[in-house]
Amino acid sequence: MIALLWAALAFAMPTAQELLAGIDAQMTYETRTATTRMVVVNPRRTREFTMSSWGRGLDEAAIEYVDPPRDAGTRMLRKGDELWMYLPAIERVQKISGHMLRQGMMGSDVSYEDMMNNTHLVDAYTATVTGEDTVDGRKCWRVEMIAKDETVTYPKRVTCVDAETYIPLRQELFALSGMLLKTWTMGDVRKDPTSGKWVPFTMRIEDKLQEGTYTEILVQDMKFGVEVPDEVFSTRWLER
Amino acid sequence: MMVLALAWRNAQRNVQRTVITASMVVLGTALLVVGMVWLYGLTGRLIAEGADQVGHVRLVDPDYAAREPLLPLYENIPDAAPVVEAVRSVPGVIGAWAVISAPVTVTAGEDIGDVFALAVGSDPGWFGERMQLRTYLTEGAWFGEADDEVLVGQMIADRAGLHVGDEVRLIGQTQDGSISPILGRVVGIVHAGNPAVDLKVYLRMSQVEWLTDIPGGATEIVVYADDFEDAPEVAEAIAALPAAEGLAVQAWSSREPFAGMIGVLQVVRRVVVGTIVLLTALGILNTMMMSVLERTHEIGVLRAMGLTRIGVVSLFVIEAMAIAVFGGTVGVALGSVGGWYLETYGITIGENVSQNFDVGVPIKATLYGDLSFDLAASAFLLGLVMAVIGSFLPAVRAAAIEPVEAMRIGR
Repeated sequence: MIALLWAALAFAMPTAQELLAGIDAQMTYETRTATTRMVVVNPRRTREFTMSSWGRGLDEAAIEYVDPPRDAGTRMLRKGDELWMYLPAIERVQKISGHMLRQGMMGSDVSYEDMMNNTHLVDAYTATVTGEDTVDGRKCWRVEMIAKDETVTYPKRVTCVDAETYIPLRQELFALSGMLLKTWTMGDVRKDPTSGKWVPFTMRIEDKLQEGTYTEILVQDMKFGVEVPDEVFSTRWLER
Repeated sequence: MMVLALAWRNAQRNVQRTVITASMVVLGTALLVVGMVWLYGLTGRLIAEGADQVGHVRLVDPDYAAREPLLPLYENIPDAAPVVEAVRSVPGVIGAWAVISAPVTVTAGEDIGDVFALAVGSDPGWFGERMQLRTYLTEGAWFGEADDEVLVGQMIADRAGLHVGDEVRLIGQTQDGSISPILGRVVGIVHAGNPAVDLKVYLRMSQVEWLTDIPGGATEIVVYADDFEDAPEVAEAIAALPAAEGLAVQAWSSREPFAGMIGVLQVVRRVVVGTIVLLTALGILNTMMMSVLERTHEIGVLRAMGLTRIGVVSLFVIEAMAIAVFGGTVGVALGSVGGWYLETYGITIGENVSQNFDVGVPIKATLYGDLSFDLAASAFLLGLVMAVIGSFLPAVRAAAIEPVEAMRIGR
């Protein structure tokens, strides 16, 4: 009986490769624009930022902070493996590299390194489906991923992938030592009518190396397949 | 009185031995004066100037104090003005200022460089009155009216290639960890000859408040008393203020590096002074022992005539002390000449040494002694102590001699 149940389960369970490919398909796009609000909470205070962002494929992304006034005009540009930041206070562009990549973006729990992720999971990890789980009432598959290259930001991930939408509803991100570094949860998943993609409208990131801090990203508006001027993905745009 | 007269007579009997004993006291006392002038002056000035740099008393968030080497900006005093105002009303306080210190990268050219400095933001009054940056100003001018003026330490100016009038970009972080830059203009360069001053950049508080996003706040409040030695009492009074509730109030003497330094310096002083006293006392012991051996018969006669053992001990000790009074006076005079030189001209160790010798308090290229009446009087008294120590054992030995035996030996 148990064997039969197990066989049935195995038949229904997708492969790890299928799940990773599904995640990659949802998280990539030709072009995208969005307006998001980022709420950064630490034990001392809470700050809120409003950003406009543009994306093209895996390799190009641009962000401009429009609020609060202190940070308005700050722009970031990622092209491939390079990241630049325009600092309006000094009217200069700074390349973010080396140890600076590990810093939190605007002091949030999302690091610049997290922004640099431009590789499909199916190419970067070998994965194993370890069972079923439930996140916020949604059935999901638990996938354990080990990086093919140990030098990636998170050599190990344990992800709960929504069985229907392929959105990673909960991710636990680990260091090479096995220490839990971050958790990343996604919710309020909606289907974009234009592209047919499932889009998480809320994300919560917790840096497990710090106590009492978390960052929420709340999507206010997102469009896929829109025309994005080439200029946005150039360093000229940063200093405009 | 008889013992005193005998002691004084005995001191004059063997001139050669008396001169040798006195010379040892002169040498020992002179060395003590010079050594103490140097040690007390060096350490005293180091501590006094260090306390002036860091504040006689300071108020910080306790978590900031616990993790201070990491410069945790988020562990700040959010609303510093009312605390400063309350502290200034405490009797014995002559000044108090809010300060923000933050690590920055300093850049002069187009590329973001790798010159790291500590940006210190406060009121220019503190920089001038207490940190004495005006006296260290070697190029340019003091703060004027513009908000973007920056004073740069010499070592930072050299490393970043900065000159007076240059635009300088300081890139740091906010208290939340965001990259945060400010643009400034070099108005002056300060050179104290040590990293405690020269590895920093100095800005108005408003600039660093913006850099670190700590509006109206401070990483510490530094407080000054009339005399830095009064800091513990002043700290106690400040700690009792309602405005200081929840803050750590620290006298300079309880903070590192001073707390550790004071203990070490006391040990060093005691070892040096003790060594000089002991060596001189050994020399005195030697000559006094010779005196006892030579006067064994005489001691026997005196004992037979009724002089007590205590009287015999007193005889030799007073003799030594009489010599020490003379020797100590000459020794203090000689030592004071050397002490005066150290106080006036000091010893130059050079900037190569002072710039690379970072113990957390400023060390100058020339180190000065500190001659005082108290110090000279202490050396004189220690000279008497040397005489007592050196003569005691021989005196006890003399007192132990049996009169009959002594008179038989003397024949």
